[in-house]
Amino acid sequence: MKDYFRFFDKTTFLILLVLAFGGVSLIYSAGYSGQQHHYLKQIFWVLFALVCFFIMFSIKLEPVFRHSYLILAAVCIALLIQLATGRWIAGTRAWLRFGFFQVQVSEFVKIPLALALAKFLTTFETITLSRLLKLAGLIGVPVLLIALQPDFGVSFILCSFFLVILFMKKTRPILLIMLVALTVSVSYLGWRSVLKPYQKARILSFINPQKYSKTSGYQLIQSKIAVGSGGLSGKGYLKGSQSRYQFLPTRHTDFIISVLGEEFGFIGISLLFFAYFILFYRQFRFRFTNDEEFYFIYLFNGLILFQFLVNVAMAIGLFPVLGITLPFVSYGGSSILSFFLGEAILFRIQINTYIQ
Amino acid sequence: MYIDRKKITPDIARRAARTTTVVLILIFLGMVFVYWNIQVLRYDYFRFRALQNIIKTVELEAPRGLILDRNRQVLAENRIDFTLYLIRESVTDWERTLKIASFLTGKSRSEIEKIIAKYKGNPKSYLIPLKDHFPLASVAYVESRIDEMPEFRIDLKPGRSYPQLGFGSHILGYISEVSDKELQNQSASGYHMGDSTGISGMEKQYERYLRGEKGTQTIIKDNQENVQQELSRVRPKIGQTLVLTVDLNLQRYIEELFQDIQGAAAVIDLTDGGIMALVSKPAFDPSIFSEAITPEHWNELMTMPDPPLRNKFIQGIYSPGSVFKIVMALTALSEGIITPQTSFFCGGELLVYDHIFHCAKSSGHGWMNLQSAIEKSCNIYFYNLGKRLQINTIARYARLLGLGETSRIDLPNEAGGLVPTTQWKERVFRQKWYAGETISVAIGEGSLNVTPVQMLRMISTVALRGRKPTPHLLDHIEKEGTTVYRFPANFETVPIPHALFEEVIAGMYRVVNGEGTGRLARVETLEICGKTGTSQIISKDNPRFKALAKEKRFIPNSWFACFAPREHPRIALVLLIENGGDAGLIAAPMAGQILNRIFQQ
Repeated sequence: MKDYFRFFDKTTFLILLVLAFGGVSLIYSAGYSGQQHHYLKQIFWVLFALVCFFIMFSIKLEPVFRHSYLILAAVCIALLIQLATGRWIAGTRAWLRFGFFQVQVSEFVKIPLALALAKFLTTFETITLSRLLKLAGLIGVPVLLIALQPDFGVSFILCSFFLVILFMKKTRPILLIMLVALTVSVSYLGWRSVLKPYQKARILSFINPQKYSKTSGYQLIQSKIAVGSGGLSGKGYLKGSQSRYQFLPTRHTDFIISVLGEEFGFIGISLLFFAYFILFYRQFRFRFTNDEEFYFIYLFNGLILFQFLVNVAMAIGLFPVLGITLPFVSYGGSSILSFFLGEAILFRIQINTYIQ
Repeated sequence: MYIDRKKITPDIARRAARTTTVVLILIFLGMVFVYWNIQVLRYDYFRFRALQNIIKTVELEAPRGLILDRNRQVLAENRIDFTLYLIRESVTDWERTLKIASFLTGKSRSEIEKIIAKYKGNPKSYLIPLKDHFPLASVAYVESRIDEMPEFRIDLKPGRSYPQLGFGSHILGYISEVSDKELQNQSASGYHMGDSTGISGMEKQYERYLRGEKGTQTIIKDNQENVQQELSRVRPKIGQTLVLTVDLNLQRYIEELFQDIQGAAAVIDLTDGGIMALVSKPAFDPSIFSEAITPEHWNELMTMPDPPLRNKFIQGIYSPGSVFKIVMALTALSEGIITPQTSFFCGGELLVYDHIFHCAKSSGHGWMNLQSAIEKSCNIYFYNLGKRLQINTIARYARLLGLGETSRIDLPNEAGGLVPTTQWKERVFRQKWYAGETISVAIGEGSLNVTPVQMLRMISTVALRGRKPTPHLLDHIEKEGTTVYRFPANFETVPIPHALFEEVIAGMYRVVNGEGTGRLARVETLEICGKTGTSQIISKDNPRFKALAKEKRFIPNSWFACFAPREHPRIALVLLIENGGDAGLIAAPMAGQILNRIFQQ
């Protein structure tokens, strides 16, 4: 036990706590004028996630990796059941009700998928066509199921696994070209048949927000105004006019960073970036005992990095509004829980190199 | 960073970590730069945009000025009024919104859509007034459900009220929403869509004094246009107070006399030209225009055969009838055609230019001089004058006495009337003037057309022996309790010798106090001088005259123009009763009643 405490990465863990509780205080500010009590729920979820973190942390990893395909299959079946029976809430079937709380099942695909992919990546050296197809199947099935709910935010984020894999593994050039062609044609088809008008409007308004400033470009512009008007040092906690007078949309979830930018300015943003940088820097260097763990470290960290980047770019209009939260900070119990469970596996990988 | 071996070696891991660090540094530097650009370099722009979001300056409407009568009784004032507004920005379901709006206002869907369409050019956050005078019960209904229908808003607005319930409506006029056309003309003077402006009467004539100055309020508002905080406020300034020369009690008295009568009447104070009462019937209630007037109601008002909005006193055009004999008498005397003693014999009819002209008394009046001809209103006497005078000479004197020219009374849209001349006939009909036409004009018929206010001015000029007053309704304007403008008493001098007026006045005295046509106007204690006029609506030459004369609409109009007392006159009065028949029986006794009341008080 003493060793566990000694080799536990306290710095990284502290950063996670700072992000999570910093998030709670931003959520408090976001709901300040509307008398919303999201922050109370968030406190509960963070505490619950920490309990789950330590439970997960104490579980041996070897059987987890061994059964990773099975776990992924089980989650996919859960997604299917939800698709078939799920109730529509706010235009999506992404939510599953458990009494008092709602759970977003799609968030819990991230870890099993990362585990399964990590296991699969250990089996070969170079990406060939057949392996690429297998990878596409592995990632594509859950992405499709989630897209059908529809929850485009999470399914888009899961696609980042592809980028990380291409970044790490050797690929035949011809396959890369084919991949680009495939991406383009899928995007085109998606645009023509899958995307709903409001989603198209979001993308169009991202391209030209001023033209859609009263409709779908509104969120983008208001978020940018919030961030920009924060200036160097911000307007002060609870004093952001964009947030307080409700110009900033979905400010406790997707645009929580805009609240930070408005109330704490460039200094606040820089501190947040610094915290994330340290987090990534340290976690990418976590020690591991086998290849599966190595791949998992890169896949999961890559996912967080990607989600962080998309969210941060979205807040200032560099990316379309897709409903993607800021990891560890934004409001959302499922998101927090899922990230802390993933973190628990990373911390366990790290400590295994000292303890075993 | 291609991992080129199946097994991950510490060396590969180290290389991967190094590459990843470089990527991380690049990504974070990039993001920091982008945020620096927005938050520091473009701070001023975004700060401005953020302020633009929350800070709004709204206009506060100014209450209109009061209108008081000469005894400071209130004729027009303000009251607090609720207005229902719609904010397009907050509408989620137009179908539902239109349904609710229709339910709340009682207006039809298409009417509401029409209102909304007018504000197309305004920002989506603009408050569109859907209904003024929103009833209190509905206010409570909307306020209690504001969460369910955030697109509706209720606000206070100063409203206009006329506590005299329709009395004096043609004096006061009415206000209404400023029209699109006026908006284009007057945009410079600060009118906005939805503002009220005077449309007729005093409300229009003195609009710029009554209007007041709008205030402004700078507020912090949220996304839903809810006021969060007031930053500054410039109070609106109430419009200036008009004090009129009108005597409300007299006004009511005359209007009540006119209850079942169509026509016009006015009383003038001869000392300064101030109008003490002005009646035009049918009348209207000015409050309906600032309240819920429906398009149907409006159309009905505008297309009625005798539209109540028309102020007959200044816009109605009539033959002056025998009252015009006063003008003829003065013309003939001034031109030296006759002396007061000149007599003509009346045998009931007269042959002039191969045409037989009749007197009202078919058996004839016998020998008539000027005074007796006025007293008996003998047509034959005046036909003889007509025979001896040029139409242009008559016209000159008619104009001198105020007929055929606008009185310049302080009311908008006064009609001009017509006193014919040879040039007029030439210009309009491209025909020569026939001498026979002058004979008709001599007894106030033919193409002569006057308004009651012109008749009032003429009788006033006679009463004042050649001093022609400018009638006016405004006495003075007050701003914060002090008089800022007083309507100047204005008299023009008419170049007719004083003595000639005395001759005519002597005749007019006999009209009432002798055996004259107006003897029913007589009041024991008062020396009233007057002249009756019964003006034909169809010509006696009309072959169907006998048949048509029985129809109500062809019954002659009755005039009575008078003043009192004979020496140092103080009051002049003109009555016009449409289709009243014999003026001596109808108009004269009413005039006596009115004058009696005025002088008893």
